Amino acid sequence: MTSTPLIRVDGVTKKFGTTTALRNVALSVEQGEVVVLLGLSGSGKSTLLRHLNGLELPTRGRVSVLGEEVSNLSGRRLRALRSRVGFVFQSFELVPSLTVLENVLTGALATIRGPRFGLWGYSTALKRTALGHLDRVGLAHLAYQRSDTLSGGQQQRVAIARALIQNPEILLADEPVASLDPESSDSIMALLREIAADAGLTVVCSLHQVDLALSWGDRIVGLRHGEVVLDTPTADLSKAEVMEIYGRVATSTRELEAIATELTVAEVLGDGETDVYEILADALDDTIVGAAPGNSADADYAPRNSPQWS
Amino acid sequence: MVLITERPVLDAAPEPVALPYRRLPPERVAATLTIVALLVVSIVSLVDVNISIPSMLDSWSNAVRFFDRVGVVSFPPLDELLYLTAFTVSLVLCGTLLAAVLSVPVAYISAANTTPGPLWRGVGRFVGVFTRAIPDVVLAMVFVLMFSLGSLPGILAIGIHSVGMISKMFADAIEQVDDGPRLAIRAAGGSKLQEFSSGVLPQVLPSWVATVLHRNDINLRGSVILGYVGVAGLGAEMAHAFKSLDYSLGLGIAIVVFALCVAMEIVSSAVRTSMLGTRPTGGRLGDRLVRLALANRQPPTTAPVGSGDAVENALRRPWTRERVRTVVWGWTAVAVIIGSVLICDISWGDFLTLWSYLPSIAASFWPPSFGNYDAAILVSAMLETIAIALAATVLTLIVSMVIGSLAARNIAPNGRVRGAMRLLLVCIRGVPEIILAIVLIVVTGLGTQAGTLALAFGGIGLLGKLIADSFEEVKPGPERALTAAGATRIQVYAGATVPQGMKALLGHSFYLLDTNIRAATILGIVGGGGVGYYLLNAGQGSKYDLVTSIVLLIFVTVLLVEGLAMWMRRVFR
Repeated sequence: MTSTPLIRVDGVTKKFGTTTALRNVALSVEQGEVVVLLGLSGSGKSTLLRHLNGLELPTRGRVSVLGEEVSNLSGRRLRALRSRVGFVFQSFELVPSLTVLENVLTGALATIRGPRFGLWGYSTALKRTALGHLDRVGLAHLAYQRSDTLSGGQQQRVAIARALIQNPEILLADEPVASLDPESSDSIMALLREIAADAGLTVVCSLHQVDLALSWGDRIVGLRHGEVVLDTPTADLSKAEVMEIYGRVATSTRELEAIATELTVAEVLGDGETDVYEILADALDDTIVGAAPGNSADADYAPRNSPQWS
Repeated sequence: MVLITERPVLDAAPEPVALPYRRLPPERVAATLTIVALLVVSIVSLVDVNISIPSMLDSWSNAVRFFDRVGVVSFPPLDELLYLTAFTVSLVLCGTLLAAVLSVPVAYISAANTTPGPLWRGVGRFVGVFTRAIPDVVLAMVFVLMFSLGSLPGILAIGIHSVGMISKMFADAIEQVDDGPRLAIRAAGGSKLQEFSSGVLPQVLPSWVATVLHRNDINLRGSVILGYVGVAGLGAEMAHAFKSLDYSLGLGIAIVVFALCVAMEIVSSAVRTSMLGTRPTGGRLGDRLVRLALANRQPPTTAPVGSGDAVENALRRPWTRERVRTVVWGWTAVAVIIGSVLICDISWGDFLTLWSYLPSIAASFWPPSFGNYDAAILVSAMLETIAIALAATVLTLIVSMVIGSLAARNIAPNGRVRGAMRLLLVCIRGVPEIILAIVLIVVTGLGTQAGTLALAFGGIGLLGKLIADSFEEVKPGPERALTAAGATRIQVYAGATVPQGMKALLGHSFYLLDTNIRAATILGIVGGGGVGYYLLNAGQGSKYDLVTSIVLLIFVTVLLVEGLAMWMRRVFR
């Protein structure tokens, strides 16, 4: 790594009261990278993302984004940094009673001074830009509808347009498709990827579905219990490595068993020649060792699952 | 097939089970005992007030004789009447509007999720409680001293007093918003003010408008009493008529005020529903205007997606039904507000001249003193006020339980009964308590009886509606379960509906007690007994130090009741 990374997280620990959300996390993201933060709920993905635009401040450690030390910023300078970083939320977070267009325009508030009440508060030039972004996500025809009359997928498109009007250099997305049905999920993820490629955006996106993360990101960073347990490019991953990823992000044997069952079905229905059980047994072993050190007498988990299909 | 001739009977438990000892938290016990004590005191007060059927019958014959003497009810000349009506409505509107504007910053610093810090929050809450505790009559007395006679004292009195209630409701609404949109604006680099204006305000606006309209109704009813301390308008004319023993004119104006209150109630509820509802379907005036506007202006079809000038097309907002409606309502509101300000003819210059005599006015109010009275007399007058409020509350509670229950969809035997009860409640709510009190006093003579009856009657409109609404909101499951088990209607009511609605009932009752105590102090001004009489006397006799002491007395009482209500809400959460 010769160039300065766009995002650099160094030894960040975050505590909320007595619970530790992040534990000594290190991460660096280069210009133009598309990184997926992978982990189950409660693994610290959202907390980490919120550190990247100063919505949370670390208890310990340093976060630097776009060459600025986030902890040192406040007031206008913090807002200036935030305006250069787009954020897409899991539950869209549109203002329900405002029109779609006005929701998009709220993304540009950092570039204008003072409050705005209603559409007439924004300049025509800004409205034109907003409509352009709405057109980009395919919703210009709904510009004057109340945002709460839209479907989930459409609302997330509006939220993406709201992030785009910031003309961001980095796009952060916190579980952007977790509240959507599979079909809208696919189109939203494709849209994000397209936009990122078009604008040369750096993207950090948190997800909890391994298969989606594998097909979508350039690089996966796995989190478990607030710790980085995995950091790997997705290209040329072998099946065994994929299994390993499943093993790493899971937090309990029950989750792992569920994943194993699903995978087994896939494998058996597919070619059925891979030595799935062995890998799974290893993965299980890892998890259990990780969860309760010193007790590794669990090798009999895989056999208990196997007879059904073998 | 085997016929089962005898059904096996489920045996009772073979061994008697010892009842587990039920341990109640001590605070709950204390709160329950307090409620019982309050009930006992209320009933004792009710007996003390001595409302008996014979005496009411007696006063009925009084009334007949009285109306014989009054003869025909008379009104002021039409042009004068119209001007007075417009003036009173404008004054109330301006006052409420002033309160609405002042309430925004107060609510902003009082709401837990927007306040800049705990200290600010304390200040905001203090302002809320303080302005609520000082009756608008007292404020009007002070402002009449400070400003030339005109609309300004009334506007300021209403404006400042209403900040208490409006800011509290505003702050509650802010605390209930979804924080997500705010967070999104913060993440996009928006400032605190922008977070509020674009993320919070759009979410709370409908509930704010509803609150303001509701307060406007209350203020219109209360404006009558302001006339007694010198604020111009219908109230002043009425007070003047009664003082000069022109009962027929006084009653005529009272009828006008009553009609005005009912009309305002109808208008504001129409505005509320049309704002909460999405589509104008009704035959109301605003909706008709919307349809008229739409008739010759068809909304253009939406721009084709993906075409090159989709953006340019989309820049022109189509005149949809929604937009026309919003614009029509918006401009109507603006016109009404401008009209009100013009009619009020506010003498802005007073704000400049005011400062020269402010110190001397302040000095006449401070330090507080009891004047010629014994402290004991004033305290006992205050106690009398509290007794009136308690007696009225318990009386209202009894009647409202019946009317309110029958007005609830899930309790009323049929739709016709429910409809009739709802209508009755609306009619009762339309009657301003003060008018009722004045008429009762005129008819039955001065005293606590008239005050109590007036308060109790007025309370039914409020409490009955609240009870009906809360009973309609209970979960239907338990009721169905009891019905399925063969319980009678009254058993379902007692076993499922009332227990579920109990908490709300308790809250509403305390709310009523709270408003009754405030109202009871004011009733005294028109002769309804209690501390208000002394307040009016002190004001008219320019004994402002005495006014201060009485206000402090009222203030302490109101705070005590408010604290009690807060405690109850916490314990029975």
